[in-house]
Amino acid sequence: MRLLLIPVAWLLGFGLLAPTSQAQELSISLELPVIETAQYYRPYVAVWVEDETQQSVRLIALWRKEPDWLKDIRRFWRKIGRSETELVDARTGATRTPGRYQLSWDGLDDAGKPVPAGQYTLLVEASREQGGRSLQRQSFQWDGSSQQYTQDAMPELGELRITLN
Amino acid sequence: MKKIVLATLLALSSAVASAHTLWVVPSHFVLSSEDSWISVDVSAANMTFVPDRGVSPNNLAIVFPDGERHAFAQSYQGRRKSQADHQLTMDGTYRIELAGPARYFTFFQQDGERRRILANKDERAAQLPANATDVLTTRSRGRALSFVSVNAPNDTALALSQQGLELKLLTHPADVVATEPVRWQFVLDGKVAAGVQVELSREGELYRDDAGRELMTTDAQGMLAFTPPVAGRYVLEASLTEDSTDPLADRVRETLTLTFEAALP
Repeated sequence: MRLLLIPVAWLLGFGLLAPTSQAQELSISLELPVIETAQYYRPYVAVWVEDETQQSVRLIALWRKEPDWLKDIRRFWRKIGRSETELVDARTGATRTPGRYQLSWDGLDDAGKPVPAGQYTLLVEASREQGGRSLQRQSFQWDGSSQQYTQDAMPELGELRITLN
Repeated sequence: MKKIVLATLLALSSAVASAHTLWVVPSHFVLSSEDSWISVDVSAANMTFVPDRGVSPNNLAIVFPDGERHAFAQSYQGRRKSQADHQLTMDGTYRIELAGPARYFTFFQQDGERRRILANKDERAAQLPANATDVLTTRSRGRALSFVSVNAPNDTALALSQQGLELKLLTHPADVVATEPVRWQFVLDGKVAAGVQVELSREGELYRDDAGRELMTTDAQGMLAFTPPVAGRYVLEASLTEDSTDPLADRVRETLTLTFEAALP
């Protein structure tokens, strides 16, 4: 009996027997539309997840260049950017050309811990120099169930599609 | 001669103050890069952010996020507005403040006319004409404030001096967002100020029929609660006239304006 218990405890400790229901993933398909304008600059884009108290739990992507204009991703700046310098540096990627992009979220927060089940909101915010700002929000349940949502296109963002499974 | 000029200037600025709202408006309320410069406009005007009269920038100061007070690096007094520039060399919240010392005015009636001298209750006896009646001395003070945050905001520059009418910014100015409630509290000499009259206005009055000004009064705890309806720049103007606890005045009159922005949700 004793001989049996020890290997099971090891397996649990190494996470090898974790329940399979935690394998839920959020798949995100967002689009930066082609915009006909005299002076087109690539938008600054932030993608993150907020909990029910509107606090960010996970910054998924940040496409930007100079710090001067980071504040113009207004909600991102207030919720994350202005105080989470290290996180911003860690997640920073280059700005992107118009097109459709796929991202995903594994349910981990910025510290790498699984978030509790509940309602969350995905936010996609795009701000363009000499252009506008668009913010898409889509709420979803993080409870292991399959869900699909779309958000209408906005001036600075194409149709947003998310899938949970 | 000098005395006359000074008195005239004070009288002018007081006349301006009584008819106009004095505000400071920074070029940016939020900045995300180090060592940024800001430019501050100062004007006394009837319409919010439509400059009317430039006022002296001599009493303009900037309090850094560490609490240190600095004069502006450069300034210019224009006819319609004055401007001052400063470089923001550290992260946190800065307070921009236009505030002179409290001034004492003694009002009286003489030969059927209302007159005024620059004197407090100790000084007035020597200056008042023999046939002066209805003598009343007022201590008058005005402040115009605004707050600018570079990267993470902090609270050091929000601290109160406990002198005159002040605003406890329970909702940090960097967290004011359109459609979200704001809670601020007024204090007079550090004590809760009930019954302060407050007028809230926002930019763009020139381009709409309804100015959309909101009149409010602080409650028994000095609290002011409101929700900015739309994103943009606002001016809050508060005034209070009270019986004086200052032995040098019969009553005190305090005014305060705060320029702030409500961010996009």
